[in-house]
Amino acid sequence: MWAMLQTLNDEVPKYRDQIPSPGLMVFPKPVTALEYTFSMSDPSSYDGYIKDLKKFLKSYSLEEQKSLANCTDGVLFEQKGPDYVSCQFPDTLLQACSGRNDPDFGYSQGQPCILVKMNRIIGLKPEGSPRIDCLSKDENIALVSTYPNHGIIDLKYFPYYGKKLHVGYLQPLVAVQVSFESNSTKKEVTVECKIEGSRNLRNEDDRDKFLGRVAFKITART
Amino acid sequence: MERGGKRGKVSPHGQHPSRKPKREPKIKTKKKVKRDTKKKDMEELKKEVVMNDHQLTLKELSTKYSVDLTNGQSPEKAKEILIRDGPNTLTPPHTTPEWVKFCKQLFSGFALLLWISSILCFVAHGIQLYFNEKSSSDNLYLGIVLAVVVGITGCFSYYQEAKSSKIMESFKNMVPQQAQVIRGGQKMQINVQDVVVGDLVEVKAGDRIPADLRLISAQGCKVDNSSLTGESEPQSRSTDFTHENPLETRNICFFSTNCVEGSARGVVIATGDSTVMGRIASLASGLKTGKTPIGAEIEHFIHLITGVAVFLGVTFFVLSLALGYGWLKAVIFLIGIIVANVPEGLLATVTVCLTLTAKRMARKNCLVKNLEAVETLGSTSTICSDKTGTLTQNRMTVAHMWFDRTVYHDDTSEEQTGKFTKGSETWFVLARIAGLCNRADFKADQETLPVAKRETTGDASESALLKFVEQSYGSVKEMREKSPKVAEIPFNSTNKYQLSIHRHEDGSPGHVLMMKGAPERILEFCSSFLLHGQEFPIDDKMKNAFQDAYSELGGLGERVLGFCFLNLPSSFSTGFPFNTDEINFPMSNLCFVGLVSMIDPPRAAVPSAVSKCRSAGIKVIMVTGDHPITAKAIARGVGIISEGTETAEDIAARLGIPISQVKARNAKAIVVHGSELKDMNSEQLNQILQNHTEIVFARTSPQQKLIIVEGCQKLGAIVAVTGDGVNDSPALKKADIGIAMGITGSDVSKQAADLILLDDNFASIVTGVEEGRLIFDNLKKSIAYTLTSNIPEITPFLLFIILGIPLPLGTITILCIDLGTDMVPAISLAYESPESDIMQRQPRNPKTDNLVNHHLIGIAYGQIGMIQALAGFFTYFVVMAENGFMPLHLLGIRLKWDDPFLNNLEDSYGQQWTYEQRKVVEFTCHTAFFASIVVVQWADLIICKTRRNSVFQQGMKNKVLIFGLLEETLLAALLSYTPGMGVALRMYPLRVTWWLCAIPYGIVIFICDEVRKLIIRKRPEGWLERGDILLTSAEELRMTRVPRARTELDTSERAYELEADTE
Repeated sequence: MWAMLQTLNDEVPKYRDQIPSPGLMVFPKPVTALEYTFSMSDPSSYDGYIKDLKKFLKSYSLEEQKSLANCTDGVLFEQKGPDYVSCQFPDTLLQACSGRNDPDFGYSQGQPCILVKMNRIIGLKPEGSPRIDCLSKDENIALVSTYPNHGIIDLKYFPYYGKKLHVGYLQPLVAVQVSFESNSTKKEVTVECKIEGSRNLRNEDDRDKFLGRVAFKITART
Repeated sequence: MERGGKRGKVSPHGQHPSRKPKREPKIKTKKKVKRDTKKKDMEELKKEVVMNDHQLTLKELSTKYSVDLTNGQSPEKAKEILIRDGPNTLTPPHTTPEWVKFCKQLFSGFALLLWISSILCFVAHGIQLYFNEKSSSDNLYLGIVLAVVVGITGCFSYYQEAKSSKIMESFKNMVPQQAQVIRGGQKMQINVQDVVVGDLVEVKAGDRIPADLRLISAQGCKVDNSSLTGESEPQSRSTDFTHENPLETRNICFFSTNCVEGSARGVVIATGDSTVMGRIASLASGLKTGKTPIGAEIEHFIHLITGVAVFLGVTFFVLSLALGYGWLKAVIFLIGIIVANVPEGLLATVTVCLTLTAKRMARKNCLVKNLEAVETLGSTSTICSDKTGTLTQNRMTVAHMWFDRTVYHDDTSEEQTGKFTKGSETWFVLARIAGLCNRADFKADQETLPVAKRETTGDASESALLKFVEQSYGSVKEMREKSPKVAEIPFNSTNKYQLSIHRHEDGSPGHVLMMKGAPERILEFCSSFLLHGQEFPIDDKMKNAFQDAYSELGGLGERVLGFCFLNLPSSFSTGFPFNTDEINFPMSNLCFVGLVSMIDPPRAAVPSAVSKCRSAGIKVIMVTGDHPITAKAIARGVGIISEGTETAEDIAARLGIPISQVKARNAKAIVVHGSELKDMNSEQLNQILQNHTEIVFARTSPQQKLIIVEGCQKLGAIVAVTGDGVNDSPALKKADIGIAMGITGSDVSKQAADLILLDDNFASIVTGVEEGRLIFDNLKKSIAYTLTSNIPEITPFLLFIILGIPLPLGTITILCIDLGTDMVPAISLAYESPESDIMQRQPRNPKTDNLVNHHLIGIAYGQIGMIQALAGFFTYFVVMAENGFMPLHLLGIRLKWDDPFLNNLEDSYGQQWTYEQRKVVEFTCHTAFFASIVVVQWADLIICKTRRNSVFQQGMKNKVLIFGLLEETLLAALLSYTPGMGVALRMYPLRVTWWLCAIPYGIVIFICDEVRKLIIRKRPEGWLERGDILLTSAEELRMTRVPRARTELDTSERAYELEADTE
C-alpha cells in the first residue's frame, strides 16, 4: 500500500480521464436539494446564506489579493513553474452581488444573489470564450442578471495547477441575481445556468445533470 | 396357536383384530376410528402375520366363512361382502400431488434461507421507501434476483426429479387380471378386484393368485413365493397343514404370488389390504423416512451460515448505532449484512453438482429417484443386502458333480463359457441321464442366444441340468431324438425320484431305464456303481464316499440330485408296453452313476464388490428369506462371511466342543435364523449387530427386515438396503437409501426405493458409493470455494459503515460474482478426481464429519477470505488514489460522497467532482474490486482443488476446471469492457494495471496453502491438521489410524482364539 502511494505524484493525479469537463455548482449550497427558500421579512431565514457568502468572499476581497498577480485578460495563463502564480479576482467584478454595497446580498429586497462556480480541474484549458448563461424558466416571475456582465469567465484563470503547486488560486466566479417582478404574486422560479461559448466544455449529458450546467429553485416569501 | 396365544391378539373371527373397526359398517365413525388406530396399526403391521386359517379343518373353514366348499358363495352374498370389504385391490400408496412436490423443491432447506433473505430485502426496500430515504433500489433488485434464483433452481431440481420419476412410471403395467371363481355352483370369470372373502377360487399354472387362499384341493400345485419371501425355488402346495407359520405352511397361497405348476382350489381368507402382501405394502407406505444425510448436512450448514450472518449483523447494528447512525439506517445495515452473508449461488451450485453426479450414476446404471440420495450411498456404513437376485443370479446352475469318487466343479459365472469336458466314461453316462431323464426344454427360436441366456420351460433344477448338458455334452435335442422316451414317472414329493425309459441310442431293440432324484432315495435302488465306466458292486467304502460327498455338497447350500440307470434285459425290447401306473418292469439293482449339485450362484462381480465395500469400511449384512445353509453358503461365496472367519457353530465343530461353550465374542461371523430373531429383544439384536462383523440373517420376514434396519440405524449407522421383492419394500423405505432392482424388482419395491440399479448388479452399488463419496468431498470443495468470496463481498459494506468510505463493492457486482463468475468454477470442482483412494477410507461419521464445519468456515472466511478482501481493497484504493482520492482523504467522506446535490466535492489534489463523475469512479472501483476477486478466486479455485495433495501432485487434469478459469476471466472481461455496460450494470472498463493489483495476493494465497498442505503431509497429526478442516482432519486421521486400530484388534482377537484353541 505504502509502496503504491510512493508511486503516485502528489502534485498531479495519475489519471484525469474521469473528469474531462467541469461541473457547475452553486454557492451557498442549501442543506438538502438545490432549493433556496427564504422570507424577505425574516432575516433569520436567509442569515445562513449571507454568512456563507461573506465567509466565502472573504478570500476574494482586495486586501487578500494583494500578493496575487494581475494577469492579462482574455488569454490562458500557462506557467512552467517551479513557482506558480495565481491571478486576482477582485470581488468588485461581482458588482451588485459583491456584498460591498448591499450586505444582505439582495435577500432582503427579494433579489437574492447566488454564486455559480465552475469546478476546478487540473490542466483544463477552455477553448473559445467561455461564459455562464443563466435563464429564468419564467420571465414573467423573475429576471436574471449575471455579474460580471454576460457571465464571462476569463481565460486567465486557466489552467489550474493543483492544490499543492497553485497556492492561493482563486476560482473565477459568476454571480446570479434573481429579481422577482414586484407585481407577480408567485415568487418561485427555477433558474438554469449553462456554460456556453466553449467547444471543450460540455453542458449536455443525459446522466450528469451538473456537467457544465446547474439548475436551482428559488422561493421568496414576503 | 402358540405364538398367537402369546400375543393375545387372535380372535376367532378376524385375522387382523386391529383392523376390525375399519370393517364395521358404521361408516360415520369410520374416519375417526381410522385416525385413532393409525398409529396402533403401524405397530401392529410391524408384527408377524397372525392367522389360524391354515390350522382349521375344512369343516371349520366352511363354518368360519359360512361357505359351501363345493358350490361356493351365492352371488348375492358375494355382492354384500364386496360392499362391506371393498374391492380386492391394494390401496395405492399415497402419492404426493405434483404441486406439493414442486413446493417442496421451492421451500426446502437452503431455498428457504434464500426466500427469507429475499423478503428481508423487500422489507429493507419498503422501509427506505416509507421513510423517503433517497437511495438506490439495490435492495429491491437484490430481493428480486434472490427470488428468481430460488425459483429457477427449484424448477430445475423439480424437473430433474420429475424426469426420473417418469422413468419410474414406465415400470408400471396395469393389466387387469381375471380370476376363476365358483359362485352358487357356477364357475365364472370375474375381475380380480371383485373377489371377496369366502369365494371359492380356482388357480392353475401361469395364474397370479388373486387373494390369500386356504387350499381345499391341489393337483401338483407349485407357487413362486419369491416376491413375498425371497425364496427362489417354487414351493409345492397341498391341502396339508405342515407348519405353524402361515408363511411356511403348504396349504396357503398368497395374493399376487404366481402359480407355476399344477392347479388348486381354495377359499379366499383375505382380500386387498388385509392380505399378507397388502399388509406389507401398507407397512411400507405408512413408514416415515428421515432426512437424507446430505439434507441434514445442508441444514447444519444453514445453521452455521445464519449464525455467522446474524452475529455479524447484530454486531454491526450495535456498532452503527454507536457510530451515530439512526436506528432506521442501522436496521437497513443489519438486513444488508445478513443478506450479504447468504451465498446466493450456492443453492444452484449444489443442485447442479448433485444433478451431474446423478447423471453420471445413471450412466453407470444407478438411477437416482431423489436427488439428495446421490450422496447417501457415500455415507453408507451398512448395507443390508437381499440375497436372491441381488447377490445371486436368480437361476439355478449346476455347480458341482461327484462321480468316479471325485468332486468336479463347474463354471457358474453369468457367461458360463468354460465347457466341462472330462474324458471319463462315467461322465458320458451321467450327462445322458441328465439330458434324457429331464422334462425341461428350450423355448423355440433361441438358437442364436448363448445357452445360458436361453429361456426354458420346466422347473429350475431341470432347466439347470438341461443347460448344463447342452453346454458341456452337446445338443440335447439330438440326444432325445436318438433315444426317444417310451415311458416316464414324473417327480413328486412322495417318490422323490423321476424315472424315464428310453430306446438305445444305437437303435438296438433294448431299452434303458434312467432315474434321478434325492440322492439317498436313488442309492436305495442301486446295487452297483460306475467307476471309470466299469460297474462295481456297492460296498461300505463307496457308501462312505457317497455320504461324504453328499454332505459336502449339501453343506455348500446346494441342491443335490443322484443319478442312476439300468439297461433293461432283452425281454423288454421294442414294443414292450411299459406301464407306469402298475409297474411292469424291474426297478431294483440299478447302477449308481453320480451326483450333480445345483445352486443359484452368486453373480461374478459380487465378491469383488463386497470386498471393495469392506475395504471402504462398509459392513455388508445379508438379510434373506432363504434357508440358513444356502444363505451361509452364498455369504461365504461372495465374501460376506470372509475366508477364515467362523461362526460359533464352526468353532464348535472345529474344536469339538458343544456350541454353548464357545464364547460368542470369538466368532466374528454369525448366521441368525428368523425364528431366533423373533424372540430377541432389541438389546440382544444390538449385541449381535455390534459384536459381529459378518452377519447373515436367514428366514427373515419382511417385518424382521424392517427391525434389522431400524436396529442398525439405532446404532448410528447409515443403512442402505437392497432388495427386489415386495417383502423388501418396508425395509427399503425405512433405509436411509433403499436400492431396488430395475429388472427383477417388483413395482412396490421400486416405489419404496430411492435408487434403482438398472442392471440389477450389486457391483453397481460400489460405483454408487464411490460417486457418493466423491461428490461429498467435491461439494465440500465447492462450498469452501464459494464461501471464500463471501468475505471480500461483506467487508466493503462493513468498512463503508465504519470508516465512511465510498462503497467499494456494490450489490450488482456481488451478484455478478455469486451468480456469474463463481458458478462455473464452483461446479467444475464437482468434476475433480479423488485425491486418494476414497474406497480405502472408512465411511464418514455423520456426527463428526460434516459437510461444512467451523474449521472450513474459519479457513474460508478467516484466512483466504481475508487475503482476498485485502486484495480487493488494495485495488480499490489504487483506483481511487490514481484518480485523485487518496486513501486518507476517503475516510469519513461517505456522507458528502453520496450527496447527489454536492457537485463540487474536492479530491486530494483540489479538483472538484460532480456527483455523477465521482460515482463513475466509484463504479469503476466496484468493477476493479470485482476483477480482483475474480483474480484471487483463480488462486482459491486451484487451492480448493485439493485438500491434502499439492497441486503439483494432483495436476491440472480437470478440463472443466480449466474451462471454469477461462470462463470466469472472460465473463469478467466481458462485463467490464462490453460497451453499454456502464449504462446497464454500471460496470466500467478497467486499466490493465488494475487487473494486476490482485495478482500478488493470489500468489500469497497459493503459497500459503501449499505450505500448509506440505506441513500437513509431513506431520499428519500436527496441530495444523487438527485445527484445519479444509483438509478435514477427522476424515484423514481415520484414514491413517483406523486400519492400524483394526489390525490391533485383529491380532488381539486371533490371540484370543488361539487361547480357545489350546483350551
